[in-house]
Amino acid sequence: MKIQISYTGRSYQTAGMLPCELTLEDGAMVDDALRLLTKDLRDDQQLPASCLVAVSGEHIGTLAHYTNRPLRDRDELILIAPVAGG
Amino acid sequence: MEGQQRLKASTVLVSRVGGMGGPAALMLTMGGVGRVIIAHGGELISPDLNRQVLGSESGLGKPRATDFGEYLRSMNQFVEVEAIGREPDDAEAAELADRCDIILSCPPTFEERLRLNRAAVRAGIPFIDAAQWGMTGTLIVVKPGETACLECLYPEPPPFEEFFPVVGAISAATGSLAALEAIKILSGTGEPLWGRMLTYDGYRGNFTTVVLQRRDSCACCSSL
Repeated sequence: MKIQISYTGRSYQTAGMLPCELTLEDGAMVDDALRLLTKDLRDDQQLPASCLVAVSGEHIGTLAHYTNRPLRDRDELILIAPVAGG
Repeated sequence: MEGQQRLKASTVLVSRVGGMGGPAALMLTMGGVGRVIIAHGGELISPDLNRQVLGSESGLGKPRATDFGEYLRSMNQFVEVEAIGREPDDAEAAELADRCDIILSCPPTFEERLRLNRAAVRAGIPFIDAAQWGMTGTLIVVKPGETACLECLYPEPPPFEEFFPVVGAISAATGSLAALEAIKILSGTGEPLWGRMLTYDGYRGNFTTVVLQRRDSCACCSSL
């Protein structure tokens, strides 16, 4: 199956390193996608633990604490790095 | 007309009136909210002028709250503007929440945002959090006890960045959308973004809406 990846918030340079789409085995979970997504990032490019994670419009937690769940074909994995600037 | 009268009878706190809070306070004042309370410490400095719609070069070095309050009053004589020259601490945030109908949170730090969130949740009033970073703007609208609050999302404040990119157009757009949500809630018009995060990625021109999940262990709102 294929899922879409959306990344927004801080660090566009990190977003530029991430693919827009991932191909996963059927039955893959969110943590499988995140592992595949971040495996090639250097230490200084890792996404912040407080980055929000959502699947197809539903928030499931932060990278540090999220509810793992199965993904479906054409799901959108959304990562929102925290922003606070005024 | 009824909605306009509701606005006239309302009080809104906008904490920090820089790139986002400034446009938000301006739209609320021009829109006819009865009382607009702004809170912001310090003096206006030149690096901030790329997003200060309430200030200008003539205000450099002057206290922001006083100067910005005068400008807001000049835009609508029928609106009471209260200018507080500091960021509220816990006690003051609670006191302000008790005499407001809604809080708009626009500070640069999560500590301040979470403080304002706590004050709003304890007072049982809606809370709108507007944030930006570079080409991204985000908006969260909280109905205490019914939707996720800011602390449900961020139990610990994410790290503070002293220096971060600001695009004035993103700040102003995000602040204006925050004001729109407040106007909708106060006037009883439309469908507010209760319990959702709206994200605008200006880099790609994408709006995204995410439904936010309450956290059972949230120290701020789980008991409600």
